[in-house]
Order: sequence, then structure tokens, then C-alpha cells
Amino acid sequence: MRRITFLLLCLFIGIGLSAQTRVSGTVFSAEDGQPVIGAAVVVKGTTTGTVTDYDGKFQLTTPAGAKLLVVSFMGMETQEVDVKPTINVRLMPHSESLDEVIVVAFGTVTKEAFTGSAATISSKSIDMRPIANAAKALEGVAAGVQVGMTSGQPGAGPEVRIRGFGSINASNDPLYVVDGVAYAGTLANLNPDDIESITVLKDAASSALYGSRAANGVVVITTKRGKSGRTTFDVKVNQGVSVRGIREYDRVGTMEYVPLQWEAMRNALVTGGASREAASLQASADIMGTKGLNNNPFNVAAGQVMRTDGTLNADASLLYNDFDWNDAISRTGYRGEYNISGSGGTDKADFFFSVGYLDEKGYVIRSDFNRFTARVNANIQPKKWFKAGVNVAGTVSTSTTTTASLDDISSYANPFYFARNIGPIYPIHQHNSDGSYVLDANGNRMYEWDHRGAGASAGRHIIAETQWNDNKNDRNVISTRLYSEVTFLPGLKLTINGGLNIDNLLVGAFENAEVGNGAPSGRSRRDNRKRTELNFNQLLSYNKSFGKHSMDLMAGHESYEYQWERFYGMKQGLVIDGNDELINFTTINSLWSFTDRYTTEGYLFRGNYNFDNRYYLSASYRRDGSSKFAHNVRWGNFWSLGGSWRIDREKFFEAKWVDMLKLRASYGQVGNDAGISYYAWQSLYNISNNGTESGFVQDMSKGNDKLEWESSNSLDIALEFGLFNRRLNGAFEFFDRRSSNLLFSVPLPTSSGVSNQYQNIGSMFNRGIELQLDGDIVRSKNFIWNMNVNATFLKNEITKLPQEEIVSGTKKLMVGKGIYDFWLRTYMGVNDQNGAAIYRYDDARTAAADVAKSYEYKGQMVTEDPNVAKFEYHGSSIPKVYGGLTNTFVYKNLSLSVLMTYGIGGQTYDRGYATLMEGVNSYGSAMHVDMNNRWQQPGDQTNVPRLDASKAVFFSATSSRWLTNSSYLALKNASLSYDLPKSVCRFVDLSAIRVFASGENLFLLSKRRGLNPQESFNGLTNNQYLPSRIGTVGVNVTF
Amino acid sequence: MKIAKHIVLALCLLGGSSCSSDFLETVPTDAYSETTILSNVENAKSALNGIHRAMYAQYDTQNQAGYSSVMIYNDMLGEDLVNTAQGNGWWIGEYRWQNHRNVNGSSNFHVYRFFYKLISNANMILAQIDDLPGDDATRKQVKGEALAYRGMAHFWLVQFYANRYSASNKSMLGVPLMLTPTTAPQPRATIDQVYQQVLIDLNEAEQLVVPKPNSGYNKSHFTQSSVKGILSRVYLAMEDWSNAALKANEARTAFEGTLMSSTQYKTGFSDAANPEWMWASIMIPDQTVYFYSYFAYMTYNFNSSNIRTNPKAINSTLYGKIAATDVRKWCWEPAPTAENFPLPLTTFLRFPFMNRKFAVKDAGSSVGDIPNMRLSEMYLNEAEAKARAGASAEAQQILHEFVVVRDPAYTKSTATGDALINEIMTHRRVELWGEGFRFTDLKRLNLPLDRENANHSSTITANLMSVPAGDNQWLFLFPQSEVNTNPFVAENQNP
Repeated sequence: MRRITFLLLCLFIGIGLSAQTRVSGTVFSAEDGQPVIGAAVVVKGTTTGTVTDYDGKFQLTTPAGAKLLVVSFMGMETQEVDVKPTINVRLMPHSESLDEVIVVAFGTVTKEAFTGSAATISSKSIDMRPIANAAKALEGVAAGVQVGMTSGQPGAGPEVRIRGFGSINASNDPLYVVDGVAYAGTLANLNPDDIESITVLKDAASSALYGSRAANGVVVITTKRGKSGRTTFDVKVNQGVSVRGIREYDRVGTMEYVPLQWEAMRNALVTGGASREAASLQASADIMGTKGLNNNPFNVAAGQVMRTDGTLNADASLLYNDFDWNDAISRTGYRGEYNISGSGGTDKADFFFSVGYLDEKGYVIRSDFNRFTARVNANIQPKKWFKAGVNVAGTVSTSTTTTASLDDISSYANPFYFARNIGPIYPIHQHNSDGSYVLDANGNRMYEWDHRGAGASAGRHIIAETQWNDNKNDRNVISTRLYSEVTFLPGLKLTINGGLNIDNLLVGAFENAEVGNGAPSGRSRRDNRKRTELNFNQLLSYNKSFGKHSMDLMAGHESYEYQWERFYGMKQGLVIDGNDELINFTTINSLWSFTDRYTTEGYLFRGNYNFDNRYYLSASYRRDGSSKFAHNVRWGNFWSLGGSWRIDREKFFEAKWVDMLKLRASYGQVGNDAGISYYAWQSLYNISNNGTESGFVQDMSKGNDKLEWESSNSLDIALEFGLFNRRLNGAFEFFDRRSSNLLFSVPLPTSSGVSNQYQNIGSMFNRGIELQLDGDIVRSKNFIWNMNVNATFLKNEITKLPQEEIVSGTKKLMVGKGIYDFWLRTYMGVNDQNGAAIYRYDDARTAAADVAKSYEYKGQMVTEDPNVAKFEYHGSSIPKVYGGLTNTFVYKNLSLSVLMTYGIGGQTYDRGYATLMEGVNSYGSAMHVDMNNRWQQPGDQTNVPRLDASKAVFFSATSSRWLTNSSYLALKNASLSYDLPKSVCRFVDLSAIRVFASGENLFLLSKRRGLNPQESFNGLTNNQYLPSRIGTVGVNVTF
Repeated sequence: MKIAKHIVLALCLLGGSSCSSDFLETVPTDAYSETTILSNVENAKSALNGIHRAMYAQYDTQNQAGYSSVMIYNDMLGEDLVNTAQGNGWWIGEYRWQNHRNVNGSSNFHVYRFFYKLISNANMILAQIDDLPGDDATRKQVKGEALAYRGMAHFWLVQFYANRYSASNKSMLGVPLMLTPTTAPQPRATIDQVYQQVLIDLNEAEQLVVPKPNSGYNKSHFTQSSVKGILSRVYLAMEDWSNAALKANEARTAFEGTLMSSTQYKTGFSDAANPEWMWASIMIPDQTVYFYSYFAYMTYNFNSSNIRTNPKAINSTLYGKIAATDVRKWCWEPAPTAENFPLPLTTFLRFPFMNRKFAVKDAGSSVGDIPNMRLSEMYLNEAEAKARAGASAEAQQILHEFVVVRDPAYTKSTATGDALINEIMTHRRVELWGEGFRFTDLKRLNLPLDRENANHSSTITANLMSVPAGDNQWLFLFPQSEVNTNPFVAENQNP
């Protein structure tokens, strides 16, 4: 079994000189009987020691007088054994190690001395999962971390929120730090197999040294490095398939659909004053023609399809059944992953290298992700006082994407929007009047896009456009870390870190000349986006111990420069088919470039103090400047204080069954300037030429030279414990994050001609409780069942606003309300006499013309006109509680891990459903089966209004009607692995062989089929690329 | 060892040395600060050019292409423009009179935001132009054009968001008057206050701008004739017939161009080089607005889904009034066939009375110039004003001067009173079809909308076939974004 070790231990190990006793032995795991590779064996009270080799063996010469050896290994109970010539040690596993090291801001700290709040995800939880983007591994495994499931596009990553939502208009994304340096790129650039650990820093004490960028928490990613005395070579191959993870909404079929559309037309004519008879006649005449559905797939004439009683002509049968657009855009996806890595080291140098290749084809046609990664991490210590190292990683990826992304939710080119909403009478291919396929000169079927109703993406064709267009992303990333460390007095050292990330993305898009946005002449574009991040920091640190006191101090300086360069060109007029290079087009549509720069600079200080390993104190301070603010207000001060108390180490504390009991608390202030314009303080004019005359036009956002940091003051109190011989571990934690001085995009009157201005107004808190429990339910010789459960209860509330209320889309911000509280018209159901949708009337409207639009219905004042309907609060999108549950079963060499996530409470505004239920706003859109419950005649009791094309806008207005409870339970991942017995490995001269199977998004329980309740934090669903269900099998061989 | 250590230390400190004092000073490369732009008259002229560009830029959604979308909207609300099918749905909500009665309507929002954006950009210039260093001739022109935009924009807004100008209405609420670059919410001024300010701005503009375009100016710039043209529109709306006639007359006599010939009439209305165009937006290929374009909805030959499936037609009753010898009869085809109405592809649908008035220069691109004002309108404005003022003989004469160019067989009208007015209005509807006049014409004249007895389909109009004059439906609702941010408007939303 592969073990994880941290090299840091080894650094303190020297080689003893005065040989007295030769000791040799083997360290085994009590858990599985396998040798433990890399366990530290140290003579107690000295720095003399060694680590075990890949057979778990060690040899050591102990100095005179040595009585005890301390044997330790990450993830296992440390043992002390008597010195004797031959020793066999069996280490017991435990889930929380005292020696565990946590990666924090600018350094590491032992978990024991840590006064802040953090969660660590080890490579073990990422190892087998078929994920291209490591951010997905954050879901469900740590309390306080909420992960949205944004997209199933291969390579796409989710949005992450740590302890709620600290900002309204600025960014809520955490800061990502990779190997000590801020990282603005996508985590898909990292090979998850290169990751040693991911640490989520949740409170101010742990993140304050990132100062101005830490308000939303920090995700610290550390990549692997070589381990002293352990040379390994690892090969991992993974093969799998993927399918759509969430099924389509239930929609009506062709034979139900046409009568429904007819009814909408008939009722619209009746509403317009026609008699029911005349309206029925006209609807039957018009429904299949250009005024209606504009396609007749039946074997009878268009005017004969619908009888005037609203039923389908009994003689009508389909000429063809060519309507399954979802099937046509889908395929069985494929996933292949290949990783090799090697590592090794001595006490003076270590290295790690890896090469990985990922080939992922999404379940939607023409969506894929190919990634090639390579990394080298080498560290040396040529002199006792000097260390240096370099960590260089390169990534080359290509990805073909669909437009099913957040910013393109309802475009005709979005396959999910298109396939979901096209009525089930529109064929994919052209058909002759006898129903047979129209064939081109080469005998191929031809696509059909002209006979469509207005609501059926008229003139567009998602299959043709997806196949004939191209939208590819070529990315080259290089990421470099370089450090050197000089110890120039005992305990006093200077570390210089440099980091450079260059992410060069070329988006190449081609749109064909036949159909879609590129028609009629074809067009192509190239969009080069280059991101350069340069980071330097200089850290001076000092540590000192005397008696029971120990302390370390650090001071430093950091500078960060971010540069964003765009170069964009688009041309139309395709010359020769099959070549999408710009030179093959005739006319320039667009050609521009620009460069943005953003810089920050900070000075930082930290002090940690520890008395007798019982009392820990830490304090930090950082002063930061940002180029986003005007020079006289750009500097902000950030700080934190933290302390912890090991109650179990007090003399008075005697409960034997308590192994660890720690109370800790922290308070501090961190900041945020992310998510606003790089030049937010400046009032700008954008270049906007009039023909060839130079021109400038006001930016819609007004500058503000008083704008400054948004800040977040957070309090964290926690009780951590380990009980019953570490069989049950856990933590209860309370947090209170108060954001103030919010960077608020204050909407300005539309009549001012500008739309908004950033101002520091507003306060908000995110308060909650986190629970984390981890226990071995069964812990026997051959079988272990471990359960890890976490839950986060979150309350978000606004405490101050720039104006009394701010309405923004489906939300209204108000003091006392949350950031994502829905503010919607109140849907009152359907008037059972006329079938109209009714809304609560806004009683503040007293004008006679308005009052005339209201009436009393069953004791309530209602209206059929949404323009005079009353808006009210209707709950929040934030779940009451969310979290995850991991069950791990280990039986001998067989291991099964099952991760489930859940959310309870919260509302989703289900736009997918709303679109399918909007009635008939324009003919030809698909309909949900719930439309069968529509009102049809006086007396019908239903929640679905009558179908009426002239009223659909009113009947389907944005309202509480479209809210759905978002509670869900998901089976995110299950991984099964089997380690071949050591005897077999030895037989083929390998260290370890593991075979495994893993599946993602295996199961989802939600209120409505089709709904993805995790799609967004604000509770609005879009027509996004739904998550993939992936199944893989793999083998991992260690030399 | 110690020496080496200290050398390394020194090198490290040097290598990681802190930043220079301007490290945190950054500026964009695609924008300039307000102070740079408004630092001299030359730059202020560029800020004016930005307004010209805003006239034809694309905004949020496909029905928001600057001024040209306002033109389409104005005709979509009338009875002369007919949607032949639902097409791909664009503009159907407007055609049904739903969008402007919906506080969240996207076209409704566009009209409001667009004109106030022009006003704000003009106000930025006007607040400082008098004090900026630079050439006085340029200063006059820039100031005049900014005033012209401010006047024009307020004029459009008050026509849409308030009741028509009349003796009984003029003390009612109009729209917020924005005369300084402020972000503070402003109350709705009265209709009369808005019109008076519009006149002040346009009259001053008339004095400041050049009589004829300077060399180097294209037709996007205002000259005295185009400002006078707008003034004549304003006076028509105010029913001030004598001034309307006067300004229309001055505009057409000041203008250096001529009415189009019959041949020129058939060239598609997409080229500002046309001698009849007085004021235009001129688009070059790399400023294309793609499917937002006026020409992506109004032409017969651009390959957009909207045009292929819903070519725009003329009201069949109105078509019936066009003389057979009139060149304008060619602009529409009552019974189009593959022979008499060739189209670029077989996938273009044909409908009776579809138009060929508008055409793109190149079927592959929606780029084209927008006719913001043409000379023929000045004849029509003047004739209408004269006729409504009772000066029938003059009206007949002016009408004849114009119509005979369109229809060589036309003989001077002998009608007077309402008959003459009707004749003029019919020519106006035919001549300016699709160019953004009908809804505001109906509204200013207090006429009902009547789409009956023609080729409007009640299915496509969702039964919006008639609206009585003076009905609340003639009022645009103030968009939600303004209601949310301007308490004065929130308290005084239109009924």
C-alpha cells in the first residue's frame, strides 16, 4: 500500500556519530500487515534516526545511553519501543495524527500547534477519482465548504464557497494558492495525480497572512515531492466511460403535443373576442402552418391534422419519427488517463517527476478535453545553511467546448437549451412528402432547419452547428516555483520565493456558412488570452525554544503582478471550405487587443508562541496595497489573533478515554478586492470609433476614487476531540464572518446614463456551525469500517445596505434578509372560472387604472396582470444544512469508499421547468408533461393555467410558481480498490499493484427529474452542460 | 562559509528587492480616464464621435442595436408594418404591444437606457466644453451637436414615456430632464417642461453647428439642416404647424442634396452616399452588429432566420393606395413568386406584400448605413404642417414637388382639408415605411391603431388589432431598472 509521508520529519534527522548499538528491524502496519515505507525511527531525545525502506526495514546505530526509539508515520499512532538489536514494530492507524503538518500561509505548522480552522484533503481522496479538475475533490469532504456543480464539460471545474457568501458584488471565490503562490488559472491545469494535499483555510487566523485576498477563504494546493530514502516509480492507467448524469425533464410526446399547441391558439383567438367555434375553425386551419407550428409531420394535409374539437385527426399518423434531438447530441463519452511518476531522495536532495495524459470525451458530441502534463520538483541542500529548490510544471491542453456555459444559457447554439426546448414535431433531417429522407447527391441525409415555429429555434440546427462549427481551446501553461533559503544564524533564516505562472489560451472558433451565427458567409475568430502572474516574496523567520517556551517569528514582503493580454480577430467570408484559418476569409469584422495589469504589494508579520505544548498563541499582521484603488486609499491593514488550549494535557484532566481535547479560538480581519474591475476607482471612456473617426464613449460604470478594501472580520471558536484511543475524532465549530465595507455595485438611475458605481457600502454576516465526526465503527484485524460525516449550518444576513432595498433579478437585498432571498411575485394559482394565472395584487397600488386590474378571489385580492402583482419574499436558495458522508470499508486488501453529499432546504428557481411550462408564448417550444394538468374548463382545480398564446407572457411571468425545493442527496463517488498481496508483487518484482474501479455522480435524488439542484449558489438554473456520470477502472503499479 | 553565506544573502535580498513606487499605478489600454478625454476640444470631439457610434452600436440583446432598433420598434407598434409569420420570435412581443407594457421588456429598457446614455455623454461634454482649450470653430460644432443629441433624445423619450403633447396634457408628467452629468435621481418634469427644453437645446444647436458638413465629416454629424429637421419633427408633435413648416422648409432648402431618382430608390436604403440622406449612421465592416442589425430584420435579402422566415410586409390596404406608376409600388410585392421576387436561397420564404425596399449591399453581411433622416421627410413635414394649418395651396404645391419625383404621372392634388391631409399622410406612410415613424405619428395625432381589414394575422398579433386613441396602452411603462433606482419615477409610474 502506498503511504504518504512528509519529508519535513526527515529534515531533522541527522546521522549519529558515536556508534554504540546497532539496531535493525521492520515496521508493519497493524491495519493490513503490510510493511510501512518511510516510517521515521528516531532515538528518543535526539535527532538521530532513519526512515524505513520500501520493505519497511531499517538499520540504525544508536548513541550510548539510548533507551527508547520513537517510531512514527503519518496517519498512524506514534510508538515508543525499547532499544534492542532486532525490533519489529506494528503501528496502529489513527485518523488524526499529532505530527500531521498543515500547510498554511507562508509555511507549515503542526496540526497540534495550529490555532486556526482548516480542512485537509490528502491525495488519498483524489487518487482514484476520475476527475480532471481537482476542485471537484473538495465537495462533501470538509465542513464549511460548499461546492456548486457547474458544468459537465470535460475539464470544467466547480465554483467553491467557503463559509457562505461574503460579498454581494465582488468575488466570492476563494483564493487558490499552488505551491505557495497565488494561482489565478483553472485548476484543470493541474494533474490531480501530482497533488499531495489540498488544504482549505477557513478562518482569519489561518488565512490572514494572505491579507487582502483571503476574505473568501484560501485553498492551498501542494504538489508532491520526493522523499528521502524512498525511490519509487509509479504507473497508473485508468479507462472509463461517461453518460449524462441527470435525466431530461419529462416532456410531452408528439401526439399529446399538437393538441396542446392547438388549444393555445384556439384560446388566444377566444381571448381576442372570437367565438369558440370560429376560433376552433381558425386554429385547426392555422396551427400547422406558418402562423403556428410551421411543420406538418403527419400524413394528412396541414389543415386536417387537428379536428375542431381539439383532438388529433384519427387518420393522422406520423410520416417519420425523427425528433429525438437529445439522443442526437449525445454519445457515450470516454475517459482515458495515464500517469507515470518517479521520486526519490537523500537527506541532501530530493526529486519528483511526473508525466500525465488525460483524454476525455464528453457525452455531448464535440465536447472533449485532452491534457498533457509534466512536472519536476527538485530540492537540494548543498550546505547546512543553504537550501534551494525548483518546481516546474507544464501543461498543454486542448478542449472542444459547447456553448452550454453560464454566459450562454439560452442561445440557439446551446445544445441543452436547443434539444430540451424544441417541440417534438421538428425533425432532425429533411423528409420527402412520403416521409422518406431527402438525400443529397452523395446519398447522405440532409438537415432540416427552416420549417419551424417561432418557439422552436427557427432557422437553427444544433446538430449541424455542433458538427460543422468548431470551438476549441488550446492552452499552454507553464508554472514555475523557485526558492532559496539561507540560515545565517541558528534559528534565523531568510527565504526567497519566486513564482511565475503563464497561461496562454488560444480560442479558435469557426462558424459555418450554412446555418447559425456564421451564416450566410461563414466566419472564424482567434482569441488569444494570455495570463501572466509573477509573485515574489521574501520571508525572514526566527525560532527559538527555551525551557517550556517556544516561539517563532516571521516578517516578509510580497509583490504580485497580474497581466492579462487579449488579442482578438474575427473575419467573415469563407473562401475555401475546410480551412478555418483567418487568412481564408475575406472581411475583417473585429480586430483588437488590450492589456490589463493588476498589482498588489504587502508587508507581513507573524508570531507564534507555545507554552509547554498546552497553550498556543499566534498573531499575524499584513499591510496590503492594491492597484484597483486610488493611491491615497489603497493600503489596508489586516490581522489576526488565535489561541488554543490543550485541555487534555492539564494535570487536572484525567479522563483516560479522552486522547485529545483542544479548545481554540481566533479572530481577525481579512480583505477582498477580487471580482471588480482592475480600474474600479477610475472613471473611464472606452474607445468607440465612429466609422474611421476616433471616438470615446462613457463607461457604464462610474469610477470612485474613495473606493477601498472590502473587509471580513471573522470569529472562530472550536472544540476538537479524539476519544477512545482515537477511534472517534471530531470537531464542533462556530464561525461568525462579518463582511463590511462591501464592494457594492450600486445601481444608478437608468436615466443617469450610467448603470452603476462601486461603493463601499453594506455589511453582511455569515454565521454557522460546522460539525465533523470521524469514527471507526468497526475496527478489527481484517475489517475496518470508517464513517466520516460533516454538516454545515449556515445563516446569511445583510446588516447594512447603501439604500433601503436593492432589487436584482429574482432577489431583493434588504437589511435582515439574505444575499440569495428570492423576491418574486406571489403566484396564487389559477382562477378556476377562467383558467387565468393569478398573482397577489399589490395593494400599494391605489390608482384607479391599477385597481381595475384586481379582483377578489376566494377572499384574496388578486390580479391577472403581473405588472401590478405584489412582490414578496419567498425563501432563500441557501440550504439550511449541507455536507457530506464518507463511508470507507477495508477488508484485508480490499477497500471501498463511498462519498455522498446532501443539502437540506433552500429553493431553486427552476428556469428549465419554467421554460417548458410557459404555455405557448410562441409556437413550437417543447412542453413539460405537467401541462396535462392545465385548466380546461370552468371548475377545474389546478395549478397550471389555461393554454393561451396571447396570455402566455402574463401567465408564465417570473413568480414564486417556479420555485422548487432544492434538497437533494447525491452519490458523488464510489471507489473500490484491491491491492494485490505482497507475495504476488514480490514475485513479479514490483512494490505494489492495485486494481480499482471508481464512479462519479452515480445517483441523484431531487425534487424534480431534470433539475440539477446544485447548479448554482443563487438558485437559478440554466441550460448548462449537466454533470457526467463517469465509470472507470484502473490499475496502479508501483516499482 | 560565513562570507559565502552573506554574499548569498545579499544576492537574495537584491533579487527579491521590493517594488518601485509606481508599481501599484495601473491604467487600462483600451480606455482613457475622464480627465484625459475632457481635457481639450479635440478630445471632446472624440467624445462626441462616441455618441455617433452609440447610435449604431449593439447593446445587450439582439433587439438593441442603438437607434435603428428604436426605428424598428416605432414601426412594429404601428399598422403599416406587417409580420408575415412569427419567424424566430424577435420583435413579436413588441408587435403585440406587450414589451412596452412590461416593466421588464428588453426593447422597452433599450429605448430608455439608450437615449439617456446619449444624454449623459452629451452632458459630460456640455458641462465642460466652454472651458476647454482648443479651436473655437470645433468647440461650436461639438457643443452644437451635443445639444442636438440631448434635445433629440429627450424628444424621443417624452414621446414614448409620456402622453402626447396637447393643451390638456402638457402639464402632466413627462420624463426626467437630465441637464447635468449627475447620478442623482431626477423627478419627472412636466411634458411641457421637457418640450420647452428640447426646443432650447435644438435652437441653440441650430445656431452652433455648421450649415454644411465640413470636409472630413460624414453624415453622422449634424448640420443646420438636420437640426432643423429634428426641430420640424418636434413642432409637428407640438402641433405648432407654422414652426413645423418653417423648420422643414429651412431644412430642405439648407440641405445640399436632392431627392432620389427612381433608379436610386431601388438601391436598398443602406448607403449614406444617397443624395437624399440628411443624417445617417455609417457603419464600417469591422463595426458590424451582426444579427442585431436593422438589416437583419428589415431587408429581404440578408440571410438571417428572421428574414428567411418572417420577411416584413406592408399593410395591404396601404399598398392598395399606391399608384401603379409610383416607383414606390416596386418596394412591395403583392404576390411574390420565384420569378418576380428572386431570393438568395430556397430557404427564404415568400409572403404576399413582402418588401424589397431594404436590401443589404452584400448578402453575406448585415453591415449597412442607417437612414436617420431623409430629405423627402422634410417635404412631407412641411406639406402636412401647411395642410393642417389650412394653407392648402402651399401644401398641394410642396406635395407635388415631392411626389412627382416618385411618380412622374402624379398630378397636383386639388384636395383640401382632411382629404388633403389624408393624401399627405398616405404618402408619408408609404414613403417612410420601415424607417421608424408610425407609432409616434399615430400618437401625436391622437389616432387609434387599426390593423383590421388588412393582412395582419390575429394569431401573430395575439389579437392586438386595434387600440383606441388616448388609451393607456400608448404609454411605455418606465423600465424596472429605473423604478428600482429612481424613487420619483417609482412613485409616478405610468398607468
